[in-house]
Amino acid sequence: MTAVVTATDGGDLDVETLPALPGLGGLYARGAASSGRIAAGRALPAIPGIGGGPAASEGVIALPRVAYRVAGVETARMGEHLRDYQRLLHEPGSDSLPAGFLHVLAFPLATAVMVRGDFPLPLLGMVHLANDVSLTRPVVLGERLEVRAWAENLRPHRRGVQVDLVAEVRVEDPSAAEPVLAWRGVSTYLAKGFQVPDAPGAAQGSSGAVSGTGSGAEGDREPEGAWVPPLPTGRWVLPAGTGRAYGAISGDRNPIHMSTLSAKAFGFPRAIAHGMYTAARALAEVGPARGATYRWTVEFARPVLLPGTVDVAITPVDATEGALDGAKPPGFTYLGWNSGRRTRHFTGTVTPL
Amino acid sequence: MATRSTASAAKTTGTSARTTPSTPDAPALRDAVVVGGNRIPFSRAGKKYADASNQEMFTAALEGLVARFGLQGERLGEVVGGAVLKHSRDFNLIRECVLGSSLSPQTPAYDLQQACATGLEAAIAVSNKIRLGQIESGIAGGTDTVSDAPIAVSEGLRRALLDASHAKTLQQRLKALAKVRPGDLKPLSPATDEPRTGLSMGEHQAITTARWGITREAQDEIALASHKNLAKAWEAGFFDDLVTPFRGLTRDDNLRADTSMEKLAKLKPVFGKHLATADVPAEPTMTAGNSTPLTDGASAVLLASREWAENHDLPVLARFVDAETAAVDFVHGHEGLLMAPVHAVPRLLARNGLTLDDIDLFEIHEAFASTVLTTLAAWEDDEYCRTELGLDGALGKVDRSKVNVNGSSLAAGHPFAATGGRILASAAKLVSQRAAETGKPVRALISVCAAGGLGATAIIESA
Repeated sequence: MTAVVTATDGGDLDVETLPALPGLGGLYARGAASSGRIAAGRALPAIPGIGGGPAASEGVIALPRVAYRVAGVETARMGEHLRDYQRLLHEPGSDSLPAGFLHVLAFPLATAVMVRGDFPLPLLGMVHLANDVSLTRPVVLGERLEVRAWAENLRPHRRGVQVDLVAEVRVEDPSAAEPVLAWRGVSTYLAKGFQVPDAPGAAQGSSGAVSGTGSGAEGDREPEGAWVPPLPTGRWVLPAGTGRAYGAISGDRNPIHMSTLSAKAFGFPRAIAHGMYTAARALAEVGPARGATYRWTVEFARPVLLPGTVDVAITPVDATEGALDGAKPPGFTYLGWNSGRRTRHFTGTVTPL
Repeated sequence: MATRSTASAAKTTGTSARTTPSTPDAPALRDAVVVGGNRIPFSRAGKKYADASNQEMFTAALEGLVARFGLQGERLGEVVGGAVLKHSRDFNLIRECVLGSSLSPQTPAYDLQQACATGLEAAIAVSNKIRLGQIESGIAGGTDTVSDAPIAVSEGLRRALLDASHAKTLQQRLKALAKVRPGDLKPLSPATDEPRTGLSMGEHQAITTARWGITREAQDEIALASHKNLAKAWEAGFFDDLVTPFRGLTRDDNLRADTSMEKLAKLKPVFGKHLATADVPAEPTMTAGNSTPLTDGASAVLLASREWAENHDLPVLARFVDAETAAVDFVHGHEGLLMAPVHAVPRLLARNGLTLDDIDLFEIHEAFASTVLTTLAAWEDDEYCRTELGLDGALGKVDRSKVNVNGSSLAAGHPFAATGGRILASAAKLVSQRAAETGKPVRALISVCAAGGLGATAIIESA
């Protein structure tokens, strides 16, 4: 195919076309294996062949210069999946695919990039820091899609390195020569303990994260009670099975979400909610005011332990603080926290485009 | 003229015949009046009415009303009411109650539900039909039981059972049922949480209370007054012709005539325990004493045209003047969940050319003591009335001695759908009594807040 992907950090990527979107189950097995290999390579850098990938053995890590692409993704038969997603996340029962559903759709392709042999960071154990998603064209059940995913923008973080996994969804519109970009999501992950040299002009810290909240599951933590929450607009009582329920819908069955036992293996006292579950639910609870196209961002602070209760404030941005022309509503901010401990779980925005 | 048009309406028909030849002019609105009311004593959940159903309770309230006004065998225009917590088998709850009463079986009925505003909304519906001349008489009311609430199966079990019932083969049926997980077998009882926010009504009101800076002491004073006033009204025999005993209960059993500020002050806060913010006091203020308890009960009110009341030799307590409902945007915290009546009342007053000063008695449903206080505070707030209600300034100050003079829900209890009928019947009797004492017309304003950011309000005056 002729498609060429240019990463945001410059340079063209080789486009590798896959026949279909991969299944996540197999990817996690491969991810676990490659995570182990990467860990072994770092522990024993002197023994040739153990590390396997060029990155680990050469000491300087680099991202694969490749973008995955899958064309002809049929949504016509996703009605049941969409319905289950809508019910779990409190989305209305519409035939429009919410931005969070498109994330679920594209996530396996991004994961496939992360389990490549030459991807330098371990899939398991990476911390999800933030997401920045734009839905620029509504996508409706029945449309054929093209999905692309690649990794870019490897950069230092004070606790390791961070990387952006970019995914794009295009609609194969028969009336257009090229598929039309409809959705773009940038997921930022932290791999602790890794290092990259400071690239000139590269951003420090996590992308746009508020100082002190940008750290993820095991990152820096603000002391309990130091922060004063606003008045809540809602409360989520999340049962123990929340991670399993979103795992079933999203395919993301990372062990840290599935049960206390499997989460303990990764250092969590109990299972934790998927960050994207919390962000997607906040997006749904903004309601129709988000419009048909919107930008949706989230930054994750402390994880939500399951079962658990999250107080949320989902509030319209004061119109006087937004654009003065009044052409577009200024959108919503959202925030989730633990009211007893007064610690933040996540914060984000939903802005009509 | 085949219609029920009055003579004056028939006269004017000719003039409009050119434009609408087949439709006579609508008859001028006539008065709808409150004849009287009846309820059963309200009972705290799980006590005297623990095994009473909505149908039994509403039938009892209805039958008491029928007996009081000699309506046996009478074909009324309609009976309207509902229940907030309702079994699916009760799809025709009010009609079934009519069939179980001594009213003529030819009396139509329908169910209506608007959360805690159900009873008042039913009265609005009935009085509108009377005013339009569509019916001559009707009963409005409601019933609720928390003790006999429906228990639902989990969503997983429900879906599996539905799939199994849709299945065509045994194999399909077994496959559907195999999806049931042990966790699905846990029954679900109805929650009072707002579906869109997950916050209980108490938590919502705790936020509103905090925003308006309402103190614990002010709330306890409202609670104390409610109990004292209701106790006094019972002692004075005010409810003798408004209540029929049921299941051995002769008075509202939530009433604490001997309560005091000291006793109320001892109760621990139950709502808003983690709301402290930079702008809001740290101490939670809402307790079991200044919040309404879960309650069982039923109420019914007889409304009619003046002619019908006269023809049946029945008294007329009050004229149902007008009503206004409202809803507020509470989902993202713009307005408090229970603040809709605050918005409805200025519109209702303006339409009728009235101000707060023209109201002699206020019946503000005490979902919580702080509901009364935030309502009154909002009307006194210049800035709020301008920005949120679109008024030129504060709506006005309400003299607290005019509010809930015979007690309200904090003392009587609050069986959701039954509260509107309780308030309307009591208010109608109050204006009638007061007018007889003073020889002047007396006007009452009724305000009922409800879940979902809803509210219903009405004005009645001595007839």
